[in-house]
Amino acid sequence: MSDDASAIGATGKNDQSGRTFWGSLTNWAPYRILVGIATASPRRQFLILAAFPLLWVLTQHLGPMLQMLRVSLTDAYPVAPGVEQHFTLDNYWRFFGDRIFWQPFFRTLIFAGVLTFCTLILTYPVAYFLARHVSRKNQMLMLLLLLIPFWVGEIVRTYAIMILLGNTGAVNLVLKWFGLIDRPIPFMYTSFSMGIGIVYLTALYMLLPLYSALEKLPKSYHEAAADLGAGTWTRFRRVTLPLTLEGISSGCTLVFLISTGFYATPVLLGGPSTTVFAETIAGFFHVAGDQWPTGAAFATIMFVTAMLLTGTFQKLMYSLRKGDAK
Amino acid sequence: MNRRNRILLSCVYWLFVLYVFVPLILMILMGFKDSKFIGFPIRSWTLDWYTGVFADTEVLSTLGYSVAIAVLSTLVSVVVGTWIAVLLEGRKFLGRTAMFGLTILPALVPGIISAIAFRIYARLLGIEPGMGAIIWAHAVHNVPFVALVVMARLSTLPKSQTEAARDLGADPIVAFMRITLPYLVPAILGASIFCLLLSFDDFVRSFFLGGYDPTLPVLIFAKLRSGMSPEINAIATVALVLTAAIGIWAERFTRRTNKDAKS
Repeated sequence: MSDDASAIGATGKNDQSGRTFWGSLTNWAPYRILVGIATASPRRQFLILAAFPLLWVLTQHLGPMLQMLRVSLTDAYPVAPGVEQHFTLDNYWRFFGDRIFWQPFFRTLIFAGVLTFCTLILTYPVAYFLARHVSRKNQMLMLLLLLIPFWVGEIVRTYAIMILLGNTGAVNLVLKWFGLIDRPIPFMYTSFSMGIGIVYLTALYMLLPLYSALEKLPKSYHEAAADLGAGTWTRFRRVTLPLTLEGISSGCTLVFLISTGFYATPVLLGGPSTTVFAETIAGFFHVAGDQWPTGAAFATIMFVTAMLLTGTFQKLMYSLRKGDAK
Repeated sequence: MNRRNRILLSCVYWLFVLYVFVPLILMILMGFKDSKFIGFPIRSWTLDWYTGVFADTEVLSTLGYSVAIAVLSTLVSVVVGTWIAVLLEGRKFLGRTAMFGLTILPALVPGIISAIAFRIYARLLGIEPGMGAIIWAHAVHNVPFVALVVMARLSTLPKSQTEAARDLGADPIVAFMRITLPYLVPAILGASIFCLLLSFDDFVRSFFLGGYDPTLPVLIFAKLRSGMSPEINAIATVALVLTAAIGIWAERFTRRTNKDAKS
């Protein structure tokens, strides 16, 4: 109470710095001693600043991945009382041993690759249009228009796709109206419906990097190429495309990683013939504990593969960019 | 030639807008259908599904549960993410690149892998599946986004400002609280709203780390697995309106503060 009074009410007697909260705090002896100790040397100051973030990223960001790797190398987890835990590679061998394990794995990779490419083809013209053909003021509005649906969650948007493509869905209704079909086309529970759903969920992650790459591109480059006699297609192929490779590379990496990780969308939109690896992994966690090491091993396989693939892809794009610059 | 391209491209844009909006609009419409069966055409309309949703205590408590998880996990993410950003931005030290890589790691791990890694780690830490586990997983997952946004803003803070504060006798803590932090407020608010939405919309982590109480996306998923019904449309529409409204408000807010910062 008295502290408050001196901080707010005191006039005249206190010096200038004593009037504010910060002033009284810095005049408070214990605080000054603490700050004095903490900032005695730049080195100590840095260590105090760095200690918590370092601890956090090691235990919270890296920790789960390392623990997953460790569990994947054991024969039982969680360990039942009285049972001894052994280290083994069996969980990894299991993956190669059965078709129902590696088939979804390769299906997921191929699917994610194809869908990434489709997303790129679909969003590049949109990003191009926004960045090159729309005035600055409208650009933000038209981009915001596309952002709105992407604030909506994964499950809600997946459900929207289910309604769109169902047997009594809107697409089939429209086709019937036009007399193109007599019986509804079974779009649902196929790789088609799954693809539409995943592209619907990931398009924005491709659009934004492409847009920012295209937006940075000076218009004068285009004009210069035109003055030198390049046609529309040549201009695009020789100027625009090489200079937006960075955006393409980061957009594709993002979309690929996100598509490999979807679980709910394939469950809801896919069928028995489109099982993805996420469902395989999840299967080991629905059953009682003793399957966890296998699930962890499969997740590790997927993570390492995804990282290697996107890493190689980024390297490739990088060398392509450097090659073009010469 | 150029003109024709332009028209063609604008058609592509508007087709894309249709692709993005039509499924959601259809989903919203279906919530007003006066029938148990999902499907077109809609012959008669009703508001019953909505009155049902707002009378359903399970849905309402799930909504509250999801919001609570989103708010609490965002608080953690914002504090940690800002702290990491302050450490990383504008400082050179041994292992900075590694530290940066580790910071963004949770954002790069594909959803399902991140969910089960958290699930296994929660076991190690002794966190029971449930609210605490979901908050923790969402908080860790969202830290990279806060760190990136705050770092971007921090890089535009002129060094002279904090130096001036130090010259006037402020210690590092006071200089941070009175100069740096107020400057970061727009970025922190923007990042918080992004985290709120990420957490509120998240399915896979909530699903694998949840106990008996579902979050809203998990509830919708569970209902969907037992069959489609306009009731789900009404619930999903409520979630949609909530998230879209927050998103639009945040977008306007950040644009306004950016404008203020420029002028």
